[in-house]
Amino acid sequence: MSGGNLRVRGCALFAPLIAAAVLFGASAAHAQKPIVVGASISETGPLAVDASYHLKGIQVGVADANAHGGWLGRKLVLKYYDDQSNPGTGVRLYTRLITEDKVDLLIGPYSSGISQAVAPLVNKYERATPMPGASLPAIFSAGNKWAFQLLPPATGYAEGMLPMAKAMGAHKVAILQAQLSFTLACGQARLDQAKALGMDVVYSTTYAMPPPDFSSIALAIKSANPDAVVVCSYYPDAVGLAQALHRIGYAPRFFAETIGPAEKQFNSAIGPIANRIISNTSWWPSLKTHGNAAFIASYKKMFNEEPDYHAAGTYAAVQVLGAAVKATKSLDQTKLRDWLATHEVETVEGTFKSSPTGLSLKFGQYMFQIQGDKRVLVWPTAVAQGKPEAPYTGQ
Amino acid sequence: MIVLQLVINGVLLGGTYILLAQGLNLIFGVMGIVNIAHGAIITLAGLFTYWFATETHQSPLLLIPPVFIVMLVVGGILQRLLLEPLAKLGRSRELLTLMVTFGLSYVLVETALNFFGSQYVSLPDLQTTWSVAGLAFNEALVAAGALGALISGGLYIWLRYTASGQALLATSQNPVGAVTCGIDVRRMRAIAFALGTALAATAGILLILILPLSAPTADTLTILSFVIVALGGLGDYRGAVMAALLLGLVQSGVGYYLGGDAEVVVPYLLLITFMVVRPQGIGHATR
Amino acid sequence: MGQWLERRLSAPPTTPATAARGPRPLAVAILVAVIAGAGAVPLFTSAYVLQLATDILTFAALAYGWNIISGCTGYLSFGQVSFFGIGAYATSVLVLRTGVPWYLAALIAAAFSGVVAALLGTVMLRLRGIMFALGMLGLARILVVVASDWNYIGAAGGLTLPAQLTPVAVYLAMWVAVAGAFALNYFVLHSGWGLSVTGVRDEETAASAIGVPTARIKTAAFIMSALAPAAVGGLVAWNRSFIDPPSAFDPTLDLQVIVFALFGGIGTLWGPALGTLVLVIVGEQFWAYLPDLQLALYGVLVIAVVLAFPGGIVGIANRFGWLRRRPVLAPTTLPSVSRPPQPAPPGDETIIEVRDLTVRFGGLVALNGISLSVRRGEMVSIIGANGAGKTTLFNAITGFVKPSEGGVFYRGKSVSDIPSYQRARQGIARTFQIPRLMESMTVWENTLLAARYGKRGGDAVEQAAWALHTVKLDALWLEPPSKLSPGQQRRLEMARALALNPTVILLDEVMAGMTRDEQGEIRAVLRHFRELGVAAVAGVEHVISAIADISDRMIVLDRGKKIAEGKPDTVLRDPLVIESYLGKVS
Repeated sequence: MSGGNLRVRGCALFAPLIAAAVLFGASAAHAQKPIVVGASISETGPLAVDASYHLKGIQVGVADANAHGGWLGRKLVLKYYDDQSNPGTGVRLYTRLITEDKVDLLIGPYSSGISQAVAPLVNKYERATPMPGASLPAIFSAGNKWAFQLLPPATGYAEGMLPMAKAMGAHKVAILQAQLSFTLACGQARLDQAKALGMDVVYSTTYAMPPPDFSSIALAIKSANPDAVVVCSYYPDAVGLAQALHRIGYAPRFFAETIGPAEKQFNSAIGPIANRIISNTSWWPSLKTHGNAAFIASYKKMFNEEPDYHAAGTYAAVQVLGAAVKATKSLDQTKLRDWLATHEVETVEGTFKSSPTGLSLKFGQYMFQIQGDKRVLVWPTAVAQGKPEAPYTGQ
Repeated sequence: MIVLQLVINGVLLGGTYILLAQGLNLIFGVMGIVNIAHGAIITLAGLFTYWFATETHQSPLLLIPPVFIVMLVVGGILQRLLLEPLAKLGRSRELLTLMVTFGLSYVLVETALNFFGSQYVSLPDLQTTWSVAGLAFNEALVAAGALGALISGGLYIWLRYTASGQALLATSQNPVGAVTCGIDVRRMRAIAFALGTALAATAGILLILILPLSAPTADTLTILSFVIVALGGLGDYRGAVMAALLLGLVQSGVGYYLGGDAEVVVPYLLLITFMVVRPQGIGHATR
Repeated sequence: MGQWLERRLSAPPTTPATAARGPRPLAVAILVAVIAGAGAVPLFTSAYVLQLATDILTFAALAYGWNIISGCTGYLSFGQVSFFGIGAYATSVLVLRTGVPWYLAALIAAAFSGVVAALLGTVMLRLRGIMFALGMLGLARILVVVASDWNYIGAAGGLTLPAQLTPVAVYLAMWVAVAGAFALNYFVLHSGWGLSVTGVRDEETAASAIGVPTARIKTAAFIMSALAPAAVGGLVAWNRSFIDPPSAFDPTLDLQVIVFALFGGIGTLWGPALGTLVLVIVGEQFWAYLPDLQLALYGVLVIAVVLAFPGGIVGIANRFGWLRRRPVLAPTTLPSVSRPPQPAPPGDETIIEVRDLTVRFGGLVALNGISLSVRRGEMVSIIGANGAGKTTLFNAITGFVKPSEGGVFYRGKSVSDIPSYQRARQGIARTFQIPRLMESMTVWENTLLAARYGKRGGDAVEQAAWALHTVKLDALWLEPPSKLSPGQQRRLEMARALALNPTVILLDEVMAGMTRDEQGEIRAVLRHFRELGVAAVAGVEHVISAIADISDRMIVLDRGKKIAEGKPDTVLRDPLVIESYLGKVS
């Protein structure tokens, strides 16, 4: 009896000490436990090159956050897998990140296609996820609560092109678009915009990807004789069409293509033909957006090259997550989601503001022009680096 | 005027297609197998040319002789290692050689991906456009078309009028008969494959000047080449030329009048039509 | 090396003279364990493992579908993903637009895919192997373009599908799909009907000659191969809650499926499952370390398997005695069937008649206005120097060559419009100059296949057993043809002909290359053909000494024309005949 009492009293004495030790240990361990950010990147496969910038942007974002002490006193750690540019693999990997690795935060993958496959997943598992690779409005429509667009919507991608053309005196316009969801959305928006601006659409066509030979299409454009040619394209079609127009000896006075001209090798691919082509971007190094200068400096230091708009997009995603985490002081997904849906965040890409279904409302679009071997921001005029040169001559 | 330009575009496009298809045709004609790695070889050669031109700033055309010779050797080795062991098999030979070249194409594409990345690349050479009587002729297309014609013509003359070429033709028409004539059929097969791959590589060097190439879309070229070869009648050299021109002209017209989407399906629709109506193709050879 | 490869590919290893029957106890135990394990997966593992398991099942079902058309039928297809995409879209559109429950939609989509395959097959299966393979590849490309343009199914943007399926539901549904695909494979590899498929793969021409309706069989196999990928496509689309043209018609799916099936063992029952299981699990670990080489490794694997062990895992297992294919419908022991002498069906004095038959190949005239007949009860020998047109004559009679002029009549009726397989079924049997035996089937199955089309009310197994007894091949009934001597192979061809229960047998140089004894065995059968229920025999022959004394009549051909006809003694002394063989003595 006395032994038992002793033991019980012993336990009674030790128990709170043990409990305190455990609790202290746990919180200490918790304080050191890093915040894990998970993503799948297309390290291999057709999207690999662009996705590498996507990844670098996240890496710089994470490094910068850690340089400032991390979030909630904890360091960030990035955990990513290769989805091989394949939506099915992306789905499997995000399932793994959520259910096996149990990461704290998620960032979406590169490209609208994979994002579209992953979006239902983050809704099912209720994870607030910024998607810096998704421009398709369809992803962020009714039924979506948890995915947030970190790019300007596709419809706005080339919104400066037609006003610019009109300002240069163009009335007749040819509009072309590749048969992919992003470019179709963009192209349709251009067609509507042309009508709204009172411009005459003298030729319009779509083409499948991989792109066909453009010589007949170029000839058709020449026959229609537009003042401006606007193409919602990716890279190989941007190259192909520019070459084809040159080959039949035709140069529209205003020539604009999306995405392709932003790639670093566009100039070396077609040489002097690229001169004075206009293209779009969602980010530019000269912009005075929040943290832009620091972002460029960190990126250069880490990777010894200039960042591009893909990297800026994912860096902005990290900024947005950071803002939400710090504001709600938690990693609770519901709290994060609710905060993101109702607040604005300043990022290197501009102002993040989201509709209730995750559609980005305030990211802007900018136009740049290739001038010789330089690229110059030309629109909107408020932030332009220089004036656009006209006309396009193909030389 | 438009029509004339369309015809010229179509002919020049056809010239490009001839370039694409002749290597495949030769291999099929002699060995009865479709080299599924054909597009991969073209792409690999094209990407290598891009790298060479951007690193050394020399004209890519300089590459043609050395690449041709190297590919002859490499093609011969590949044939000996991978395809010759299967040559003695009976009815399963076709299936197995298809499989082997299928596997080979993936090895080549992955190699291209690792060395040259997955992006599209193209070269800004030969970009002058001459205007003759209001019609536009582009330097790169004319060069490719001319070379395509030259290669086809050279191939035809070699096959018909030289002893070695005739030996190759004989092997393709009747392997057993060729053996009894004292022709080293094994060597013929190796030569055919080597020549076919060398032609494909040459096509790649020229193609990078005309359209963007990328490692992931290499198999599109294989399919396109196959369509041309099948349209022309498998193994028929003249038929392939006719098919290439037909395809170029039809695509040119359809692209102009019906737009980009229709243009893309033209090769496949033509192929299906011929499969139904005239499976032996445009040419006259029966096999 | 080439011969070794050929044997590895075609021949099942030797089995004892008795065939086992019924499921093996070990197989049943494994099956139970697998089913139990399958049920346990969703209950005891994480969502990630469940997804992985679902992916394995997906690929297994696709591999089984591919196996039917490419492995079992021999028509290599590089575009089965077309059906995957068709199924995905059909299911999605059905559910979205009509509210049909998803499992029903998947079934309807599979049926729809089968219809598409039937239509496609009429065009594509007429082509030779290579055209078919690459035609299918092109088809997948076309479908991407078509789908990208078609607004009703979402065009390039694809369709977003509201989440309706739980992962467990998809997992279980995949099991059903795999089971279905497996069942189809089992049917093709183990049923009497399936024997026709194997026959078509091994020897399409010979199959036609023993009554197999090759076009219909190929189409049926093609339809079967389209069902599994379509059902799977529908389930995958709903599992991902999203579908668009590039993901629906993704060509890397085809590559992976082909590699898995090839690695496991193409054309076998267990190959697709084994190959998928091993490679997906290995690949999952592997490409985490070597992501940049994954495609290359798959390519190398394909090459290595084809060159070194084309039979795949199952081929290797076979060498140790495991997973061997059991002969179809083989009784435990071969019944000894003896028949009373059967009279041939009465009537019809002239069994085969050829009138003014001319066959031209381009500029060459192989047969020049020939008329001859084969009458009831007689054995006719047709001889002539090489190039005389003898085999062409047989090809014209059996329907393998179309006459340029003239007609062929069987039992008084013209057969010009009747395809070769129907002529065989109606009672015209033939053998081939170079034996065309189905190498991957046993002697028994070769004979059984013919018997199935010749039973005419009787039992195919009995008919086949009787045919084998008649040619005295019963001891070798479970051997593959590659293990037979040339003489035995000829006798197997005869057994096949007899199994068709024919009215007339056409023998194409059956004595060539045989020893005296072997010739004697065949002569023994031929001498008594009337008692076997055969009305007439016609034989093309070079070894005249072997047939002169058993022939009732002899016909001599020279350069496409008939130059002599009559009793063997007379004909063989005819100076014209001697001259056609030996040339003129001037």
